[in-house]
Amino acid sequence: MEQALSSIGNFLGLLFILLCLGLILFYFFSDPTREKINLRSIEAFTHFRRQIDLAVEAGKRVHISLGRGNINDLQGGAALISLTILDHCARAASNSDRPPVTTSGDGVVTILSQDTLQTTYRDLAADQRYDPSNARLTGLTPLAYAAGAMPAIHDEYVTANILAGHFGTEVALLTEAGERSQSLTVAGTDSIPAQAVLYATVDEPLLGEELYAAGAYLGGGAVYTASIRMQDILRWVLIAAIGIGAILKLLGILS
Amino acid sequence: MKKILPVTNAVIAIISGSIVLLGYFFPGLFGGIQSVLIGWAIILAAFALLLGIFNLMMVHWKKIGSEGKGSIYSIVLLISLVLTMIIVSISGPAGSWSLWIFNTIQVPAEISLLAVLAFVLVYAAARLLTRRFKWYTILFLVTVLLVLLGSAPLFFVGEVGLLSSLRGWLAQVPAVAGARGLLLGVALGTVATGLRILIGIDRPYGG
Repeated sequence: MEQALSSIGNFLGLLFILLCLGLILFYFFSDPTREKINLRSIEAFTHFRRQIDLAVEAGKRVHISLGRGNINDLQGGAALISLTILDHCARAASNSDRPPVTTSGDGVVTILSQDTLQTTYRDLAADQRYDPSNARLTGLTPLAYAAGAMPAIHDEYVTANILAGHFGTEVALLTEAGERSQSLTVAGTDSIPAQAVLYATVDEPLLGEELYAAGAYLGGGAVYTASIRMQDILRWVLIAAIGIGAILKLLGILS
Repeated sequence: MKKILPVTNAVIAIISGSIVLLGYFFPGLFGGIQSVLIGWAIILAAFALLLGIFNLMMVHWKKIGSEGKGSIYSIVLLISLVLTMIIVSISGPAGSWSLWIFNTIQVPAEISLLAVLAFVLVYAAARLLTRRFKWYTILFLVTVLLVLLGSAPLFFVGEVGLLSSLRGWLAQVPAVAGARGLLLGVALGTVATGLRILIGIDRPYGG
């Protein structure tokens, strides 16, 4: 009996993944107006894009904090989306006198961030701008990571910070450093306690799935828009399922 | 070569990712190879950590060379790093000298930062009133206050039953409902991100 239930659970899980994949591919290949959909306004992304432009003009730097998520773990999603954000930021700030600086709290994410920067500069035919010391591992424990990232915000002519990835409550130390250096801070994370902290400490917090929409809002292209459409559809499906489940439970049909 | 390498990277990533994913759904068929691939990933992650530490050393070495403000901290960091590596190599990760370093230097330093964090959060909560003076800001702060008051016995008064019950209700009902809503969004976003990488459209690995 247990084995049968486990098989059904596995089958439903695979079905869900295939449904997600099918929806992304469907919207990616079939919808001719895919790049023209109206995304609701998220102030954080609007301000951040403006701030990157200002940083380029003023010859200042953008700091991207990738968190301390490990890609072998559940936090991998946030870590990977932070690399997408890094790619967009590096492209947008490629003309700046000071290239973006990234900090992370995990060895793999540090290597991937170096790789992302190198690939981006290579694509832009600006290989000479790549400097591995602009993608740094700052610490391996939460507080060591925050303590190591704070000097990057204070001392390196940073005018805008984006904190994207997995953080705990230590993220408040980073946002405070941003506040003190009078730089704009946009922040999003997958961790619920850290989201509560960001709500209180940042002008522009990214809550829930907003972080994962970064690719679409920063001009990533059709596949990011397709992903957002998939998320929107499945969100309504989940809302309906939760609503129906609640009603069935109220009626005593579900135990 | 410049074109072959990214394509090879992408093919390896897509095949490995698909096998690991299928291993969760068909453990009998793909479980063995999934374990091997995850084992390789863990070994690679350990090497990446070493490279990360090397990168940290290089960054601070450059800072010392530039003689800018704060280079003294870089000197302290490098000396501490090298000394710690030597001592832990000799004493072992659970040796008495290693534990002494951990208990007398790292733990107090992190606890001090934790104390600073508490003040930063209180200050941020107060600053929130000037930053976003809206009804939901006040609701947020009142809720925080109620949860704090209900979490510990009050000075002279002891535990207030009403506050404790209210705290319990706030933590169990509205907070859990809100957190689950946020987590559903996070989960869908994570699935979308993973799938984009799995089909090779997003390539955060030099592909």
